[in-house]
Amino acid sequence: MEFKDYYEILGVAPDAETAEIKSAYRKLARKYHPDLNAEKDAEANFKEVAEAWEVLKDKDRRAEYDELRRYGGKPHHDFEPPPGWQSSTGAQHQHFSGDFSDFFNSIFGGEFTQEGRSTSGAFGFRGQDVEIEMPVFLEETIADVVKPIEYELPIVEKGQLRHKRKSLRVTIPAGVGDGERIRLKGQGAPGQGEAPPGDLYLHIRLVPHPIFDLEGRNLLVTVPVAPWEAALGAKVTVPTLDGRINLTISPGSQSGQKLRVKGKGLVGKTGKGDLYAILKVVMPDNTGPEVEGLWKKLSEAAAFDPRKEWRDKR
Amino acid sequence: MISTVVKISVSELCEREELSRSLLVQLVQYEIARPVAGSTVDDWIFDVTSAHWMTRAVRLRRDLDIDWVAVAMLIDLLRERDRLSQENEYLQQRLGRFMNDEDRGPN
Repeated sequence: MEFKDYYEILGVAPDAETAEIKSAYRKLARKYHPDLNAEKDAEANFKEVAEAWEVLKDKDRRAEYDELRRYGGKPHHDFEPPPGWQSSTGAQHQHFSGDFSDFFNSIFGGEFTQEGRSTSGAFGFRGQDVEIEMPVFLEETIADVVKPIEYELPIVEKGQLRHKRKSLRVTIPAGVGDGERIRLKGQGAPGQGEAPPGDLYLHIRLVPHPIFDLEGRNLLVTVPVAPWEAALGAKVTVPTLDGRINLTISPGSQSGQKLRVKGKGLVGKTGKGDLYAILKVVMPDNTGPEVEGLWKKLSEAAAFDPRKEWRDKR
Repeated sequence: MISTVVKISVSELCEREELSRSLLVQLVQYEIARPVAGSTVDDWIFDVTSAHWMTRAVRLRRDLDIDWVAVAMLIDLLRERDRLSQENEYLQQRLGRFMNDEDRGPN
């Protein structure tokens, strides 16, 4: 077990006043708190910082720690508490968010806690809640869908933290939105003793679609049209999430123009959204001399300046 | 088959998050969470996403040792960050459908 230098972790001198230590903790907590920082190492860093603060903020616990430090604890070196060591302060850490290190537990006799919501009653600790990302395809939001999931649960066995894989089949309700969370009661980590298990949270992420885009509950589909379809009007078939519809493009339509098809969007809590077809005028490739000649004739006949607006504004 | 839960009652929320009813009322007053149903505090029902924000708020207040006004502002900003990041993702995807990769410099 490695000795932890809590002063080094918080970047303060061993004789620093509590106020100075508190200030250092606050700065680092702001930097590493997992609710504010999505980086992979943030949680581990925060746990270390919070553990250091847990020890150094308490006068008696700090005194005990200082004694051990003097006894020979060196950062990043192996450490064992002196024979017969027993903490007189104990670990009153129900306000701590996260697990303690083996080092902390060996000194202050702590036990694992769960994400700050642990209940340290006579019946053990409630199991840890677990959250996983749940990719859902847009097509799967139309009706309730059953999906298989696999995830890992942290389990404490004989004081050791292990991970156990678990598989479930879950029903995702129709109309779930991007970023929403749904809960699977009792499917988190098992509780200790008689305490209940934690819950599993599914964080819904709608998978980007090759054809459709999203704007709230509305679906957007970009419809490529030929220049003559935009100019003369046309009837085109457009995909929807559950089929196809025919769409009439008016003569003189512009690229970027939006056509609304009511009720063909995503299922929502207050009804269905709409589908918006956005026109995108595309040029044909390799048309040959005949078509090129026709374009030239058109350019002469139309006498059209698409950048007239710029000239007027300069 | 496991069914999912999308709503959570006040009593369950208070029990599992170790919140008092008065703290829950405060969280609603600061607009950190908004009940989706129920006319009295005991009847309030929250969606799971609201419960998630309440948990984060309680954790942030405790870990950063800041007052509720600061927590409420922080939660507002975090939500706004999430919303903007999602909107940016959607807009980038839409923009990509209108852009061609061909890179042409000025002639």
